[in-house]
Amino acid sequence: MAVSVQKIPTIPFAAVCVSGIALCFFPLFRVVPLQTKGAVATAAVTGSGDAAPAAFDPAAFTEKFWRERLTPAAARATDSTALVPALRRDPAAAAKQFARVAGVGGSGYYFFRGTGRVTAVERNRVLLDLDGVTVALGTGPLFGNTVRDGTGLLNVNDFPGLAEFNALSAELNRLVEAQVFPVLRERARVGATLAFAGCAEAPESIESGPLLVVVPVEISAAP
Amino acid sequence: MITLRLIRLLVGAALAALVALPVHAAAPAAGQRVAVVISTLNNPWFVVLANTARDRAKELGYDATIFDSQNDPAKESQHFDNLIASGYAAVLFNCTDARGSIANVRRAKAAGVPVFCMDREIEANDAATSQILSDNYSGCVALGRYFVEQVGETGKYIELLGLVADTNTWNRSKGFHSVVDRFPGLKLVAQQSAEFDRAKALEVLESLLQRNPDIDAVFCGNDAMAMGAYQALLAAGKAAKVKVFGFDGADDVVKSVAEGKITATVMQFPKTMARSAAENADKYLKGERKFPQRTPVAVELVTKANVKKFGDYGRK
Repeated sequence: MAVSVQKIPTIPFAAVCVSGIALCFFPLFRVVPLQTKGAVATAAVTGSGDAAPAAFDPAAFTEKFWRERLTPAAARATDSTALVPALRRDPAAAAKQFARVAGVGGSGYYFFRGTGRVTAVERNRVLLDLDGVTVALGTGPLFGNTVRDGTGLLNVNDFPGLAEFNALSAELNRLVEAQVFPVLRERARVGATLAFAGCAEAPESIESGPLLVVVPVEISAAP
Repeated sequence: MITLRLIRLLVGAALAALVALPVHAAAPAAGQRVAVVISTLNNPWFVVLANTARDRAKELGYDATIFDSQNDPAKESQHFDNLIASGYAAVLFNCTDARGSIANVRRAKAAGVPVFCMDREIEANDAATSQILSDNYSGCVALGRYFVEQVGETGKYIELLGLVADTNTWNRSKGFHSVVDRFPGLKLVAQQSAEFDRAKALEVLESLLQRNPDIDAVFCGNDAMAMGAYQALLAAGKAAKVKVFGFDGADDVVKSVAEGKITATVMQFPKTMARSAAENADKYLKGERKFPQRTPVAVELVTKANVKKFGDYGRK
């Protein structure tokens, strides 16, 4: 009797352990959360683990992005004193060192900051003397993806699809037009010194005219 | 004891299966078949996309076959049924419907057949292995800016949309309107789909011109429609006055831009997209598993000023 008492519980215990291991490899069922595509993507872009089934809201995303990511990143953007001499020496090498490229064969963009003296105020732009070269700060209207793609902070694969990613451009451009251009227009007086951070398409070669055409995301009083 | 042996066998089989996976993934490509499923071959641009995908797959050592969906989702679905049943190893895919085609891609994925989208997006992030897509929005931002330069800040225009179920249609339209709508003097007097089709565009524009004889421009969501629109304008005696804008970079339209018949188009790079999709499929079949879901491919504005740089569906 004593022998049978010892043997009977040992086999089921081993069987339960090994079955447990086997079930790790071959689960009988899986629990799959009921999520919409939009909710998954929303969770991904917000970094939230809570995948609430809400549609992606480009305006809300962009406001938060501007406040929490773009503004801090602008403070750390490439300094013009490093970028401008490199660009004048060799545009291709400068692009390799400082530019961000989105996708295949796309434009390179610089995200940089600098301080310059206003030399002219035109209809759609302000010209600055920056470290001995002329750059243009746009004053609108603003089109395209320069801000979305220029900072290097946004990746198409973190969003539900191309339509949503494109909607970010429209929202970012709207914020630049509403928040940055008015400050730039107000402070742009010939002879004034302006500090800025912004994005610009990387030129393939040095042409006549401004070295860079900048979409400013921040304008401040010169230090 | 029998139970213990059975469990050991199960665990052993599980471990063997796990060990066997990488061996299978690293198998050579020789003898494997790749399907190229294309929305339509009734448009030279898609013929270039299909042929380039097939040829690149062949260069990489696969047997490759083109399936024409003829812009019919039902035909596309049949193609997927057939290619899954026939044991194709991968699909290079240009869809007919951004949402409707998702089920086909999921069915292939469930059957272990990876799908690599080219040019046209499916609206799912977890079905295709990768999607190589033109940056249509950026292209139409550039086209919209040129449109305003050429037409001016006042005028009337018609827009011919592509297939309404294709996201390219809307990404192009939205990129264009993100610019042109900022100029209130530019009036959109009619907007209608001509389904990316040349004959349909001819027919639609002929009809729209009856009600809108005094337009200044036509914005077309692709080059086939631009050629159809140009024919309609020519027949109405308005080709010299009305500016036509297309999108694709098709050879006949690039030539028409050089001749001043079409004002501008946007060069997509179908060969780049097709080759990239085929190369991704090859990498997948050789064991690679990490692919970005979407890869945008840059496009370029083609005008009379720079048209000499372009031809044969790309840069010369």
